[in-house]
Amino acid sequence: MSAEDEVSLLVIVVDVNPIWWGQQANREPQFTLSKCLDAVMVMGNSHLVMTRTNKLAIIASHCQESHFLYPCKLWKSGDGHGDDNASTSGDGKYELLSVANDFIAEEIKNLMSRTEVKGNQTDTLLAGSLAKALCCILSIKMHTGQEMKSRILVVKAAEDCALQYMNFMNVIFAAQKQSILIDACVLDSDSGLLQQACDITGGLYLKIPQKIALAQYLLWVFLPDSDQRSQLVLPPPVHVDYRAACFCHRNLIEIGYVCSVCLSIFCNFSPICTTCETAFKIPLPQVVKSKKKKLKPSTHTCK
Amino acid sequence: MNGKWNDCFLGLKIIQFLIELHLEVDSIKMDEEPERAKRWEGGYERTWEILKEDESGSLKATVEEILFQAKRKRVFESHGQVRLGMMRHLYVVIDTSRTMEDQDLKPNRLTSTLKLVEYFVEEYFDQNPISQVGIITTKNKRAEKLTDLAGNPKKHIDALKKAKDSTCGGEPSLYNSLSLAMQTLKHMPGHSSREVLIIFSSLTTCDPANIYELVKTLKALKIRVSVIGLSAEVRVCTVLTRETGGSYHVILDESHFRELLMFHVKPPPATSSSECSLIRMGFPQHTIASLSDQDAKPSFSQAHLDSTSGGPGLSMGGYFCPQCQAKYTELPVECKVCGLTLVSAPHLARSFHHLFPLEAFQESPLLLHHTERFCEACQGELKDKSVFTCPSCNSVFCVECDLFIHDTLHCCPSCIHSRSAP
Repeated sequence: MSAEDEVSLLVIVVDVNPIWWGQQANREPQFTLSKCLDAVMVMGNSHLVMTRTNKLAIIASHCQESHFLYPCKLWKSGDGHGDDNASTSGDGKYELLSVANDFIAEEIKNLMSRTEVKGNQTDTLLAGSLAKALCCILSIKMHTGQEMKSRILVVKAAEDCALQYMNFMNVIFAAQKQSILIDACVLDSDSGLLQQACDITGGLYLKIPQKIALAQYLLWVFLPDSDQRSQLVLPPPVHVDYRAACFCHRNLIEIGYVCSVCLSIFCNFSPICTTCETAFKIPLPQVVKSKKKKLKPSTHTCK
Repeated sequence: MNGKWNDCFLGLKIIQFLIELHLEVDSIKMDEEPERAKRWEGGYERTWEILKEDESGSLKATVEEILFQAKRKRVFESHGQVRLGMMRHLYVVIDTSRTMEDQDLKPNRLTSTLKLVEYFVEEYFDQNPISQVGIITTKNKRAEKLTDLAGNPKKHIDALKKAKDSTCGGEPSLYNSLSLAMQTLKHMPGHSSREVLIIFSSLTTCDPANIYELVKTLKALKIRVSVIGLSAEVRVCTVLTRETGGSYHVILDESHFRELLMFHVKPPPATSSSECSLIRMGFPQHTIASLSDQDAKPSFSQAHLDSTSGGPGLSMGGYFCPQCQAKYTELPVECKVCGLTLVSAPHLARSFHHLFPLEAFQESPLLLHHTERFCEACQGELKDKSVFTCPSCNSVFCVECDLFIHDTLHCCPSCIHSRSAP
């Protein structure tokens, strides 16, 4: 059994949009960003403890940057320094877990204190964080010679940003090609993009009814990997709306017209495509020439 | 002592690789200059001078350089603002004549070709989800259709797997296979790009009529024919591809064969004469019904009515055509009842990266970048000789991330952060 040799990598992408979390602190003071990160740390620790060869990475997705909370760059460059500086935890916790937790706490504090939200860019840069996660998975895969199974877990708080649609779809197709699952744990409002991502890559999508119980949902639903999921009874797949939105009104349509040059979708026929400005050939009804019939002289008379 | 032997062996491998590289460059230029001098007519090229030893006599630096170049070997030409033919109708003609039993490709040419065409079909539908492919085989001076033009990869892959057991014999016929392809392609709508890809291993062809007349007809119908030769350059193929605007290459070995096939996966630039039109398409909803729903009824899908393969035809959920309510299990498909093309929005989204191609990154040596020690995308240390910079956001990436970004991801991870893209 090659369970010892298989490396399983979990990348957790946490949405730390400061505006949403700030409003959340006013709405429900008992569930704040620190509670959310506690639950994520529990999930990360559990994953590392499941098998000795498991690996973990955590990315915080902000509205201006995506930052790797774990593993830390400085820690990777000089392995010796990390061990010297890390204080040994007094309660006998496994060193790896305590070091990881400390780093995550440190990094998130630095991240939230140093960034200031400027301008109207208040949307979480989820597509960018997922792109960085994919590159990171690829580089780790290349450095470990063994076969590696990887998956990404997205903990999403704020709403979708429609401007990121194309980048998001590129990332989803890249993940599908590399056989990387994308799971989604949504805290507040349903996200169509993440539903499509989970459907296309084969992951799980779950909208949590009670935010306080985040740790429980993460451990019960998202901790088992893809092989074990077939043996468990998990939340059923959601109905994904794959209808396209027309470019003129943004309505969801069932039958539409697609430009053959730029693939933009319209709900009504128009002679010029508004995106690429090509004039279309309008199919005219064919005119059939009627053949002249030669009349034979007939001899019958009407009665 | 052992090191020297290893270096010699590596040196021989490198010389072989360099010779292949030179031949490849020559073969690419082949169809541009029809009356060019042949390779043996030119002077000698001293390919061994590229190898240089350093002070200790080892070839390590040169070897690393060549391996690095091999990673960057792919020549991607970004078409920029050229219109591409997105909806493609492609026929693949596979030569199954006597010469395909030759064992210069392991285990024999036919098995190797069929395996690579399977891979080609998968990649083709990955990059061109709304296109169609058909397969034709030719042997014994006749041509027959293996599979019809269809948008579903499974049918083609099953047919290719079964074809591995077929026998090879006789001579191929270019005329018959091209006229068979032409019969279907001439009815295809004007906005789609009509293509034929011939995998030709024999050096002869047996035609019932003048093939140059057929070439004129193909040119008039705007069908683009490309050929991949397995043996050597054949003049009739050169003329055929030059007149119709396709490409002609002869393979060197199996990996070169794979590369040439992958070259045809990308959509070609559309000819100026192809028409642009609005295509009517349907976007059906996927209904997942379970037994607990009261209204759910199991039903047959249209695909199962025709197929002879076993398996339960009844299923609860599926895609229902918005015009005639016929059920299908997979997309994309053309509705058999009302003729509407059914696709889903992600299928169209797969082709968007062809319309907005990513610019090539600028290569620069590592020594110029003192401040950055980590790749922006994977957070790994920059260890290679050169790094790649995105021209829009000036972030630095390592070699592997650059390859991944351009081949699979099609968007720069840092540009997504700095500006909101459409």
